[in-house]
Amino acid sequence: MPPAHRGGTRSRRRGRGTERLAPYVLVAPAVLIIVVLRLYPLLLGVNFSLTGDGERNGTVVGLDNYLELFRDPLFRTALGNVGLLVLLLPVAVAIPGLLATFIYLRVPGHRFYRSVYFFPAVLSPVIVGAIFNLLLAFDGPLNAILGSVGLAPVDWLGDPDVAMFMVVGVHVWATFGMALVVFLAGFATLDSALLDAARVDGASLPQVIWHVIVPSLSRTIQFVFVTTMIGMLTSMFGLLFVMTSGGPEGSTYLPEYYIWIQQGQMNRPALASAASTALFVIMLVVGLLQIKLLKRAGKED
Amino acid sequence: MKQRAMWAAVLVVGLAMAGCGSATGTGSSSSGSADKLVVWDWKSGEPSAAAYIEKAKADFGKKHPDVTVEFVAQPFDQYYTLLGAAIQSGKGPDVILFNGGGQIRDRVDALAPLDEYVAEDEQRLAGWEAFAKDGKIYAAPVTLQGHPIYYNKALYEQAGLDPASPATTWSEFVADCAAITKATGAKCFALGNKEGAGIQFWLSALASGVLTAQEYDDWIAGKRDWNSPNVKRIFQLWQEAGEAGLNNDGANSTAMFNDSFAIFQSAKAAHIIGLMSDVGHWKDFNEFLTADKLGVMDAPVVTAGTTPSLPYDGGIGYGVAKWTKDPKVAADLVRSLTSTDALTAFYAEAGAIAADTTIDVSQAGPAVATLVAEIETGKPAPHVALSSKTLDLMGRLSQQLLSGSVTVDEVVKQLAASDQAG
Repeated sequence: MPPAHRGGTRSRRRGRGTERLAPYVLVAPAVLIIVVLRLYPLLLGVNFSLTGDGERNGTVVGLDNYLELFRDPLFRTALGNVGLLVLLLPVAVAIPGLLATFIYLRVPGHRFYRSVYFFPAVLSPVIVGAIFNLLLAFDGPLNAILGSVGLAPVDWLGDPDVAMFMVVGVHVWATFGMALVVFLAGFATLDSALLDAARVDGASLPQVIWHVIVPSLSRTIQFVFVTTMIGMLTSMFGLLFVMTSGGPEGSTYLPEYYIWIQQGQMNRPALASAASTALFVIMLVVGLLQIKLLKRAGKED
Repeated sequence: MKQRAMWAAVLVVGLAMAGCGSATGTGSSSSGSADKLVVWDWKSGEPSAAAYIEKAKADFGKKHPDVTVEFVAQPFDQYYTLLGAAIQSGKGPDVILFNGGGQIRDRVDALAPLDEYVAEDEQRLAGWEAFAKDGKIYAAPVTLQGHPIYYNKALYEQAGLDPASPATTWSEFVADCAAITKATGAKCFALGNKEGAGIQFWLSALASGVLTAQEYDDWIAGKRDWNSPNVKRIFQLWQEAGEAGLNNDGANSTAMFNDSFAIFQSAKAAHIIGLMSDVGHWKDFNEFLTADKLGVMDAPVVTAGTTPSLPYDGGIGYGVAKWTKDPKVAADLVRSLTSTDALTAFYAEAGAIAADTTIDVSQAGPAVATLVAEIETGKPAPHVALSSKTLDLMGRLSQQLLSGSVTVDEVVKQLAASDQAG
């Protein structure tokens, strides 16, 4: 029955064609969303950063905005503060790591600590900022305590050498609960036989932490490094806005805050776009480094 | 391969079509239909402004019963950010609330000149200069914003000073402050400079006692000589006041709104350079200090021969976007928003010194009476004449002056450079 045979071949061919097309059709919505809502606006932003503000609105000015940006001491301060955040990163990771270790080793009251440590993670940065504004005010309770033991008051949020550390400290306080949970999840996979063996061999607590816990949790530690860094670079705006507004003397500016000020307060959207592009490049570099780190960690396993 | 090429083609065509528009707004498109006006502000959501908005709506409804008006109250923190985005896209509200000075002058490209529509109101309302640029008016004033020096008469009495006659020269003023601090422990000034706004109020409040009349007028007209000894003197006074402990402690970490006002209200400081619009003003202070104990004084004379005056401008005012369908109708709404009836309600409920000088304020206490009496001889506030960029820089430099990490010469040099760059 040749006709039927021919028909069967055609339908099989058509079936193969549809099959070949299917993945593209299925992927198309995601690709469209990425291209239209992510890549295209990104390109628009880069394009916009090459145009002027105010009287030069709409005209192409080349790299003028970028030159202005890197000549602006305020933007340089913002970049410097990004560097400071990177330097402070190990501290931000070590705190939840150590606390999680103590909880894992069942210090008395560990259940209570677990919930208390996590509690700030559910508070909005605005509320956290408002609380610490009160605590750190010049005539606030912290300075009152210092005064009661005979120490001079410190202008926690008004001294440019101190303010950035206070904001970062509050950010760490408010967010380390999440990292703590990740660490605890990592501990759940830890082989307790190793700990027992170390104890039998007479290892002290620091030796247990350094020679057993840290190597066993290397992947968890790297993951926390990555997520903490992303958190520090991208979600400190709320705290900065409430606690210092970039001050005093511009010492607590971060690129995000700079972008917001230029766009909203100074009416310089094109300059803000240039700053956004610069921040994007920084994030890209940091992101690529992180991916490299994770890959290396994967190989070790 | 064919399918891949086809999809690629679809994407390229889609992108090309979407990419036809430029990144910057052309400003030609409109927000809505001709029978609806959208107003953006940060006031209409507040209970104290409810009566004002109602009166204005009623007045406009009589003139244009077929036009609906929608008020969209934006949070003030993000107001100019949101507005910037709207302006950039060339779409947005028809009628827009602005602060006078730099905030509106930076954005006049997006506004329609109102001169032909508001000619009738020019005599009745005060404060137009803050909403004008290059001789054209871009908004009609709702309130007047000034920077009077308020003082606490009770502290003066406790220190044995006459609260009815505060100091008229700087040296007397400093001596009075010393007496008050000695007798009561209260500081001379309540200062909030966390946002860098304290220096703006300082500059405006003291300038008329430091700059000569000619220097003052030149400053407002844009001919600013930053190297003049009198201009430097203003910043020296700021530094000296900090060093001499005239301000509350931790001024750089004290927010102006509302921490510094709270310091004054709780009698921890004898003076504050406040506002006269609808916050941080006489009505707020009356609540705690009572109307009888609240005084308003002229700037102490620093440079002999100067005549201190009240520094004030148009505070907030409504403008019309240039993309609105019918500017005449939108301007009518602006006129309703600045009608005597509406402004009387705003003054009564929110305590703002309204731009309408015909409103009766005799019931509000001596401080208001002093303020309103000084409007006639008042002059524009010097800080309002500066660009947002220069003000921002001045805020940071003022914090450095207080912490001692910069000299006055360096401050005026940087400010001159920023001012010249525009």
